Amino acid sequence: MKRLLSAPFIIFLLAGTLIPMGVIAYYGLTDRSGAFTIENILAVGTGDHAKALGLSLLLSFAATLICLLLAFPLGLILKDSKLGKKGFMVFIFILPMWMNFVLRTMAWQVLLEKNGPLGFLGIINTPVAVVLGMVYDYLPFMVLPIYNAMIKIDNSLIEAAYDLGASKSTVLMKVITPLTVPGIVSGVTMVFVPSLTTFAISNMLGGGKVNLIGNIIEQEFTTTSNWNLGSGLSLVMMIFIVISMAFIEKFDKNGEGSMI
Amino acid sequence: MAKEQTLIEMIDISKSYDGEIVLDEFNLNIKENEFITLLGPSGCGKTTTLRILGGFTKPDTGKVLFQGEDITYTPANKRPLNTVFQKYALFPHMNIADNIAFGLKISGKSQEYINDKIKYALKLVNLSGYENRAVTSLSGGQQQRIAIARAIVNEPRVLLLDEPLGALDLKLRQEMQYELRRLKNELGITFLYVTHDQEEALTMSDKVVVMNQGYIQQMGTPEQIYNEPENAFVADFIGDSNIVDGIMVEDYVVKINGYKFPCIDYGFGKNKPVDVVIRPEDIIIDKPGKGVMDGMVTSNVFIGVHYEMCIEAGGIEWLCQNTRSWPVGEQVSINVDPENIQIMNKPQSEDEEAISLEDVLGEEQDQ
Amino acid sequence: MKNTSFGLNKLIKVLYLIVIVLFLYLPIGTLMVLSFNSSKSMTSWQGFSLKWYKEMFTNDELMEALGNTLTIALWASIIATVIGVMACIAMSAMTDRKRSIFMGLNNIPLLNADIVTGISIMMSFLLFGISLNYGTVLFAHVTFCIPYVILSVMPKFKQLENHTYEAALDLGASPLYAFFKVVLPDIMPGIVSGFLLSFTMSVDDFVITHFTRGAGINTLSTLIYSQLKIGVRPTLFALSTVIFVIVLLVLVVSNFLKGDEEEEARKAAKSGKEYVYKGGMSTKKTLAIILAIVVAMAVAIRFTPSTPGEVGEKGVVYVYNFGDYIDPELVDAFYEETGYTVVCDYFDTNEEMYPVVKNNTADYDVICASDYMIDKLIKEDLLMELEFTKIPNIQFLSQNIRDFMEDFDPGMFYSAPHTWGTYGIIYNKELVDEADFAGDVSWGILWDKKYAGKVIMPNSIREADMVAAKLLGYSMNTTDENEMKAITDKLIEQKPLVYSYANDNARDLMIGDNASMAVITSGDVLYAQEDNENLAYVVPKEGTEVWTDCWAVPKSCKNYDGAMAWIDFMYSYDAAVANFEYLTYAIPNTQLEDYEYEDYIEGPRVLSEIEIVNPPEDVLARCETLQNLGPEGDDMYSKYWKEFKSQR
Repeated sequence: MKRLLSAPFIIFLLAGTLIPMGVIAYYGLTDRSGAFTIENILAVGTGDHAKALGLSLLLSFAATLICLLLAFPLGLILKDSKLGKKGFMVFIFILPMWMNFVLRTMAWQVLLEKNGPLGFLGIINTPVAVVLGMVYDYLPFMVLPIYNAMIKIDNSLIEAAYDLGASKSTVLMKVITPLTVPGIVSGVTMVFVPSLTTFAISNMLGGGKVNLIGNIIEQEFTTTSNWNLGSGLSLVMMIFIVISMAFIEKFDKNGEGSMI
Repeated sequence: MAKEQTLIEMIDISKSYDGEIVLDEFNLNIKENEFITLLGPSGCGKTTTLRILGGFTKPDTGKVLFQGEDITYTPANKRPLNTVFQKYALFPHMNIADNIAFGLKISGKSQEYINDKIKYALKLVNLSGYENRAVTSLSGGQQQRIAIARAIVNEPRVLLLDEPLGALDLKLRQEMQYELRRLKNELGITFLYVTHDQEEALTMSDKVVVMNQGYIQQMGTPEQIYNEPENAFVADFIGDSNIVDGIMVEDYVVKINGYKFPCIDYGFGKNKPVDVVIRPEDIIIDKPGKGVMDGMVTSNVFIGVHYEMCIEAGGIEWLCQNTRSWPVGEQVSINVDPENIQIMNKPQSEDEEAISLEDVLGEEQDQ
Repeated sequence: MKNTSFGLNKLIKVLYLIVIVLFLYLPIGTLMVLSFNSSKSMTSWQGFSLKWYKEMFTNDELMEALGNTLTIALWASIIATVIGVMACIAMSAMTDRKRSIFMGLNNIPLLNADIVTGISIMMSFLLFGISLNYGTVLFAHVTFCIPYVILSVMPKFKQLENHTYEAALDLGASPLYAFFKVVLPDIMPGIVSGFLLSFTMSVDDFVITHFTRGAGINTLSTLIYSQLKIGVRPTLFALSTVIFVIVLLVLVVSNFLKGDEEEEARKAAKSGKEYVYKGGMSTKKTLAIILAIVVAMAVAIRFTPSTPGEVGEKGVVYVYNFGDYIDPELVDAFYEETGYTVVCDYFDTNEEMYPVVKNNTADYDVICASDYMIDKLIKEDLLMELEFTKIPNIQFLSQNIRDFMEDFDPGMFYSAPHTWGTYGIIYNKELVDEADFAGDVSWGILWDKKYAGKVIMPNSIREADMVAAKLLGYSMNTTDENEMKAITDKLIEQKPLVYSYANDNARDLMIGDNASMAVITSGDVLYAQEDNENLAYVVPKEGTEVWTDCWAVPKSCKNYDGAMAWIDFMYSYDAAVANFEYLTYAIPNTQLEDYEYEDYIEGPRVLSEIEIVNPPEDVLARCETLQNLGPEGDDMYSKYWKEFKSQR
């Protein structure tokens, strides 16, 4: 009986996710005339695509690392402080999303432009600005899971560790960090994957000089109208998604690192 | 206790989870106004039995009759039974009064009736005046009593209790055992109680059903269960026992490691290997030569009312309890009165074989 | 008891928090400030003004987009919440293995790139012959909202005491009653946050909406994006500010109410006094939430597209146009004059419009497209011929444009020009060496090392290639591999000197003095000069691209007469003036030659005297139109463009 309740979900899963994936796979594995080819997949290895993918990997890795370095201490601070009320945190990090994504990123452009308030930084139209944009847009997806994993840690565990003679750093390394792993894994995935595939951020903050794999895919779909190549490259991107899912499955079986 | 007509019959109930058999052709009759306890180690099938009665689990085969009527597939909310859950299962978002009123509101009772019932139930469980308190503000024992109050206001014919005292401390548990017994007498309804605590079972019940691995091992009054265990499992599970190999030489004579003891059992045939059960408090300790076997005290611990000693005699380590202390190293002899020797057949069928002591001990460690 | 807290001293912690919050809210503050800027420019502050707030409330299109945004978000999150909660119930009854498979599948839409999700859903709809409309957007939104609901609700189910549900059944409740009375209150926090998160994500989404919407469906996001070509109007900043402040207030209020309640409970617990529990939620909080929902509903209903109610007797004309590419007032004026109701839809680039027209996903009556795209559409037999007897005002079309049309619509059967212009260099007189711009100017100035880091180039394949091709003396439509290589090398050589590659905001960057010169279309120049009088425009001597954006009628047209009337109306004097004043793009209409324009730099002048909108013959003689090169040509340009782009 209860299982029947999943029927609408399964329908949406099929029609909204799996069939579209199949369509992408179909386009990715055929050429313009509809004949089977794996060229669109192999295209990722060619010079320009590989370069773009390499740069994407580099920048999204940097963005993910920075998000992690910002979010972890933030989680620790909020775990202890009075501010660490759950609603408040979600509130602070979700609220900016009510300003449209395009507008928010555009605002960074205004701020960083040569004559803008932050123009002295001289980072506009460089990969640094793109990383900044990624960090800005995806930081909430790192902070919330880490924070949620941290507040679930029972304080008595930490007390027990001290009681057994552990120093602060030992407690941090041996108790808190391992227990935060589900949140970290989920956060890393939620930042890394969208950063890897973004095109809007690199377009707006990179001044057209930072060419990521997302830009190439977008170009194939919207400018060049080569859907086959675009789909082929998207399929390659899905490999990273599958890897991420495997990681989540391994480290966060119980969904402890959820966002909310 | 007035033994009245049969209220519930469980007939040939089988249930397995993922290919693991939990209940195997289980049969049980529950009479009206009985306090019956299902006793056994965890995994023995007692909770499954309760859940089948409560309507939360459907048996694979077999049926459940309530006053002769088949209720096997009647949903839980239509059964004239109520359950008190192991972890209380109080509704955290409602106050005490709303929790107690829950079932009454569903059956469409008047507000007046409900208010009276809440008062009455709270008084019954000694928590008068707690109507508007939040569930979380109560202690474990108080929550437990509210859970009982919530169940009994519906005037169920049978109250199912699933290890309701498991989470309480010893003192509270003893108090609640008394309370439950009192409630049972005041309400005059049938209690079906599930526990793994033998003391609880023996203290409160009219009838104890000892279960293991989906089978009933023995059924009877607490005295019968304790004094006349029918097999090694029951003997071991209920209290401490010495279970040793013996040979029934002839009627009324059993031989243990070459020493002959007179006993009161008969009908086993001649030179038949049997299990012999002797309770530690039934072993008579005396000066060397006065008993049947001679031996030496190897350990001695004071455990309150009496001393618990190990005596090596006749090649067997005997667990003995006595109010008199025999120092370690002292030479002694032991003897047992014939009526305190319990003779049991060795397990023969495969099913019975399964109920070896190793299994039982292993499971208890798992807990 | 030892201290369980971590970190350094309190001051550093507080500072750290402040820095993070500043980082999060700095761009938001910036947008709020810009909403009060009296200039349209994002890069220069021209004084305080509330005019964008006034414009916001009178702009029907904006309000309709707001209505769509809210109704889609509301319905999508309600449906997703119901489906998600149902799925959670079902999953909680599943075996661990099966559940983890479902949870894995559930993660896909979250992790997939938006563009892949959007396009793949669109392609699936096309595959099954479902035409895009409001429902398809809703469907796509539900699809990507469900994962958020499940991720918020599922953990609550895991924490849930299964016994409370059974206890309710035991006490006589039916499964449904037990669910609503006992389970639902327990998982409510998860449901609420899942709902709110869905709502937020739905409002914020652009990419997926963009690919799955049909005729007449705009949300705020798509409106913003379609305005990128012309420049985002600050009304959108004003609207975003208002929305942001409302949400802030609602959340702050409900958060405080919740805080009070918890405080009360804590105090009661401490003092050992009786705390009277008020049920799952306090009445105050419930009220706040209900109020918020009612307000949202009211707003949504108020702004629900009301077109069907007020359709003129002649029916609706569906117009598919570049964003913000006509004076919006003309829609009403057209209705007044002809009785046709107009529904406008927007796209950002020709290439976005193309698949929509080709696959006939939405039935448009009139489209606007650039020259080379008209050529492509004609060759693929996607356009209907125009009946010029029904467009008498076509007599006012300028002759020089007719000549250029031979390149893409020989004999002029399928299209009627809307705007036109040239590409050239806009430069800031204060920031360049005047001598460089004294005589004839070469495209080569863009390669001058003296202006390193001060040059803005187009960020589109054909326009950037055009600049290099012209400098090298090639045709901008070359398909010669060697010439392409030379063009690409030329662009790569220039790359270190370029400040940014920009289409949308080149004009704004010039207004804000961020660069010395930019390649820009002539239409943007008058607009830019309005905000920065140091800007000037020149067409280099090597020649340039002349472009024409035309009205055309796709085969999907259902209201042909309406389409003809619309095109005819666009050529009327009033409409031409209105469009010119709104866009400052050249309108190829002879009636405008004598129109007096209030030039910001040189005072009132008639249009025929302004070279920017009316280039002299010798300039036009050096111009070329962009041609459609077919898939092979596109692939070749794309390949070289990627090579150029991937150079660092």
